[in-house]
Amino acid sequence: MSRRFLRNPILVALGVVLLAVWTVPILWGLLTSFKNEKEVLAYPPRVLFTPTLDNYREVLFGPTNIVPNLTTSLIVALGTTLLTVAIAVPAAYAFARLRLRGKRALGFYVLATQLVPPIGLIIPYFLILNRIGWMDSYRGLILIYLTFSLPFAIWLLVSYFEDIPREMEEAALLDRASRLQALWHVVLPQARGAIAVAVIFVFLNAWNEFLFAVVLGGARVKTVTVSMYNYINTEQTQWAQLAAAALIAMLPVIVLGLAAQKHIVHGLTAGAVKGVGRR
Amino acid sequence: MAVARQTLSIADIPAVQLAAARRRLAQAERPERRFALTLVSPAVLVLVVTTTFPLLYLLSQSLQDINLAMPGMDHYVGFENYRRMAGDSRFWAALGFTGVYTVTTVALQLVIGLGMALLILQIPRAQWAFRIAAILPIVLAPVVAGLFWRTLMLTPDFGIVDYALRAAGLGSRNWLGEPGLARISVIVIHTWQWTPFVFLYLLAALAALPSDLYEAARIDRASAWRRFIHITLPLIRPAIVVVAILRITIALSAFAAIYAATGGGPGTATEIVNLYSYRVAFAELSLGYGAAAAVVLLVLTLVVAGLLFRIRRAQ
Repeated sequence: MSRRFLRNPILVALGVVLLAVWTVPILWGLLTSFKNEKEVLAYPPRVLFTPTLDNYREVLFGPTNIVPNLTTSLIVALGTTLLTVAIAVPAAYAFARLRLRGKRALGFYVLATQLVPPIGLIIPYFLILNRIGWMDSYRGLILIYLTFSLPFAIWLLVSYFEDIPREMEEAALLDRASRLQALWHVVLPQARGAIAVAVIFVFLNAWNEFLFAVVLGGARVKTVTVSMYNYINTEQTQWAQLAAAALIAMLPVIVLGLAAQKHIVHGLTAGAVKGVGRR
Repeated sequence: MAVARQTLSIADIPAVQLAAARRRLAQAERPERRFALTLVSPAVLVLVVTTTFPLLYLLSQSLQDINLAMPGMDHYVGFENYRRMAGDSRFWAALGFTGVYTVTTVALQLVIGLGMALLILQIPRAQWAFRIAAILPIVLAPVVAGLFWRTLMLTPDFGIVDYALRAAGLGSRNWLGEPGLARISVIVIHTWQWTPFVFLYLLAALAALPSDLYEAARIDRASAWRRFIHITLPLIRPAIVVVAILRITIALSAFAAIYAATGGGPGTATEIVNLYSYRVAFAELSLGYGAAAAVVLLVLTLVVAGLLFRIRRAQ
């Protein structure tokens, strides 16, 4: 720590307060998840108590456990991620590298779809999926998840593809490799890191989604974000179980977020940072 | 050796040869264009089917009277839904609160985020702790953030925010139960969750600034405040504009955190247009009317985004 900073106790205090403000709701949730019902409602709130694993046991093995919901979220998020990457990678490569008539307009279209507010999509999807019998189904949910994951992934990948040097690809083309071969054998291996970042953020956003899941899901397809409401009803909220369930549900995204720490800023600003169709 | 340097300009090439070369080039590009089209079309097709088509359907549904409680009674009503909305004070209140919510949350995020970035820049060795702490709210599902605040933080007596204020002698308040306080609470929740994002973004922008500028200013004995106003702020303005655009569009599509914390209540106090449209469509079951509200939000978002992009280009 710089000496100048330490000399200013106000700044130190401010830093500590900020750190606390960010982490306290989550840390308090962690603490609560180890409390029994009596401790939860103790007044004043207690920091020291005998911890119990009952809430985790209830949430993972009890009659209303969230394991099926975790599985559902995993299927939906993985399905969304796989489809998104399969469609977005070739498109992003073409946007970043190739000549194409109307590319600016197409790029702008992709960017504009990213701006569509979810509430504008949920009503037509509700009516259409009802009509074709896709309510409460994995394919219905994955379909609507593509609306936010695809534009996002395309723009994220375009920005990375633009940074990959062209030399190796050009050399491969001179060696009479087809464009597809050059993309598959030369460009994709170079883009592995970028694709990993796209996978992480698409998965994260799909895992955390709530509005589409609560309206288009049901008894069969109930994601883990929706299942949080198992612990809340009008008479009583089971705080400790809610906290335990929420922390289990958030564990994958916290791990992914920390793993992708360096990319989080770039990952979440994709599209807004780069201009449209620079070539 | 003195060799006269020959420069070839395009004017020296005979026109016929030039035309032939252009043709050859266009021919060579044709496979590239075809390949590009093949790669782009699946994405564009999927987006047309999943986004554009449903939006057109939304437009047509906003001209219908659809009541889920009375199936089979759907019928075309023209602009009746919009006319009804124009006279609905609850809609105007939702639109107004959407404006207040967006402006205050984004302004707070920018001011606090920038302040924090400037502060943390002073402590290079502890930056990692702040970076990690900043990730936590960002990756949290908004519905979980809303539920945590509703229960653990803001519940009268037992929530720690309420407890802390009571301990400080300010008394217990019904944070999500009184209209004014509930509005402040949902603004605080959104600001809590997303300020770390602005912080991380601006911290990266600040860290990338050239340090020699500051040294020159320090030699000139410019005060910290003047250094900030005259050097830092102009240099990071593009970054501020980008992050502001992003945060505005996100705030306009906010839903889950408010839904989880207040459900739009008490009454209709914390309804932004998203929640208004949702409640009208799925709680009161009039989907046509809800669709009209969603169309208004769609138009609003596109207009705001268009304006912001214009501002950004002008910079």
